[in-house]
Amino acid sequence: MKGAELVLKVLQQQGVDTIFGYPGGAIMPIYDAIYHSTVKHYLCRHEQGGAFSAIGYARASGKVGVCLATSGPGATNLITSLADALLDSVPLVAITGQVSQAVMGTDAFQEVDVLGLSLGVTKHSFMVRDVNELAHTLQEAFRLAQSGRPGPVLVDIPKDVQLAEVSEPEWPILPVARLATSLTNAAKARQLIAQAKKPIAYIGGGVQMADALAQLQAFLAESEMPSVTTLKGMGSVARANPHYLGMLGMHGTQAANLAVQQSDLLICLGARFDDRVTGKLDKFAPHAKVIHVDIDPAEINKVRFADCALLGDMKQILPAISTATQCADWLAHCQQLKQQYGWRYDHPGERIFAPLMLKQLSERMPDNSVVCCDVGQHQMWVAQHMRFNSPRNHLSSGGLGTMGFGLPAAIGAKLARPQDTVIAVSGDGSFMMNVQELGTIKRFRLQVKIVIIDNQRLGMVKQWQQLFFNERYSETDLSDNPDFVALAAAFAIPGHTITRKDEVASALEAMFSWPGPYLLHVRIDEKDNVWPLVPPGAANEDMLTETN
Amino acid sequence: MQHTLNITTRNEASVVERLLQVTRYRGYQLAGLAMTPLTDRAGLQITLTVQSDKPITLLTSQLVKLYDVQQLELASADVAVLRA
Repeated sequence: MKGAELVLKVLQQQGVDTIFGYPGGAIMPIYDAIYHSTVKHYLCRHEQGGAFSAIGYARASGKVGVCLATSGPGATNLITSLADALLDSVPLVAITGQVSQAVMGTDAFQEVDVLGLSLGVTKHSFMVRDVNELAHTLQEAFRLAQSGRPGPVLVDIPKDVQLAEVSEPEWPILPVARLATSLTNAAKARQLIAQAKKPIAYIGGGVQMADALAQLQAFLAESEMPSVTTLKGMGSVARANPHYLGMLGMHGTQAANLAVQQSDLLICLGARFDDRVTGKLDKFAPHAKVIHVDIDPAEINKVRFADCALLGDMKQILPAISTATQCADWLAHCQQLKQQYGWRYDHPGERIFAPLMLKQLSERMPDNSVVCCDVGQHQMWVAQHMRFNSPRNHLSSGGLGTMGFGLPAAIGAKLARPQDTVIAVSGDGSFMMNVQELGTIKRFRLQVKIVIIDNQRLGMVKQWQQLFFNERYSETDLSDNPDFVALAAAFAIPGHTITRKDEVASALEAMFSWPGPYLLHVRIDEKDNVWPLVPPGAANEDMLTETN
Repeated sequence: MQHTLNITTRNEASVVERLLQVTRYRGYQLAGLAMTPLTDRAGLQITLTVQSDKPITLLTSQLVKLYDVQQLELASADVAVLRA
């Protein structure tokens, strides 16, 4: 068989049945092999969209996402998505075609040094120079993408390697490497928890990625304490848990931020003290000792000193550090914060108030729906006002903050979980960044529901211009947006525009009852901003609200 | 402060680029670099000298994660094998 056919064989061996990509000259042998393969290829309309679909597929399913691109511009178009996967620790294998080795290094047509470009945006990248190394390299890529802290791996395959003859090797599937778990510090952690008067759990995406949600609920039940989550950790804490305070950080809830600031013990579970979480670092949780649990040793002491660190499998560590707490007063205090700073949905006038609309959407959508966001004000409103029962149901570009993520990620999520409702919530700015993927939805008749929250602005940038740049609204006016409903109609996707509060309930009903993709265009007031907000350089207790 | 790292890696074409990319990105200044293939040519012995006010562990913890890095030692009085 040819190298190209071997690529498909290895994908099948790895259990891959769904891949995303876009063909071109240097990857044509692999596309020729796809023609006869049972692996289902989904043709995207831009390589970035294909890779985001693979990321959405991976994040919604827990499997490895796979995307393909040709050399040169195909490969460079993957770079943003690889960076997104690196910062959000998503297992992704990207396969790129490369020009033949005979012309490599000569600035050949569509030749680019993708291996060099990938250095800063992948966990690792391989160049396959010998067809006899192809199967093993691909298997190693899958193993590496899933091992330890997951991440993106790129495999660049020159065209001559794809065309070379190779006998089918019998490679065993390489086991995913499990980092050894050290429980040496478990006793110290239990002691810190037992002695704490004001403990709080700070939960990131790592808990779900370790498949440790059940262990988390058990830990929070035994070690009864308040909890907060990062953007990627949302959905980790069971809805029934009365001590959950919401998201912390720049646009977190006031209760979450105040509780963390007042805590005397911060138990960081699979999170990394991102600057959007901590605000001014030296004022973050200033009275708290830190227990840091993570799978990546490089995260320990990277940003915040850990008084007690535990490395390895969260599933083993959480039961080992569970211990009873004595903090009834603290729980009552946090409950009082939660009551005092609860969301308010009273909003004057007839115009649609996005937080209320998203709350209605959250209450109306089926329980196991997947919501894929873009980046900006709507993303923060989703995080604040929608509830999820798993981080796999809330796909948001956290670390890289990539506009254009939501629509293609929703495509991947829908293909991963065809029985579940998938909703792309986007803004008018973000939506246009990968709007071409409407073509993918049309081609495969994917039942993705699209909600565009349209303020005719780059809303989050505009909000910062208003607050921190003396209202100099530089290049954030999008009032010449296209007619989004007409745009959807061009892709055979029906849609509807609403502008008034009293239209929301029936519009959501129409969207969910339509047996196919649907676009709901929601016009909101450009003056609506995201509150609360921790200004850049401020401590998390210094939140701006609409009233101050 | 200056630190010298003795690193054993796979003999891959991109390995020095990877080490230098991480070193630059994490904010350490390169002060010296030497590279010798091991006798079996399957690996490389690389000596990397860097300068920074940051703790050296913030760099070594990132470098040992690299796929091609097999062993990394700090060549100082408190030599520590960070990865076997």
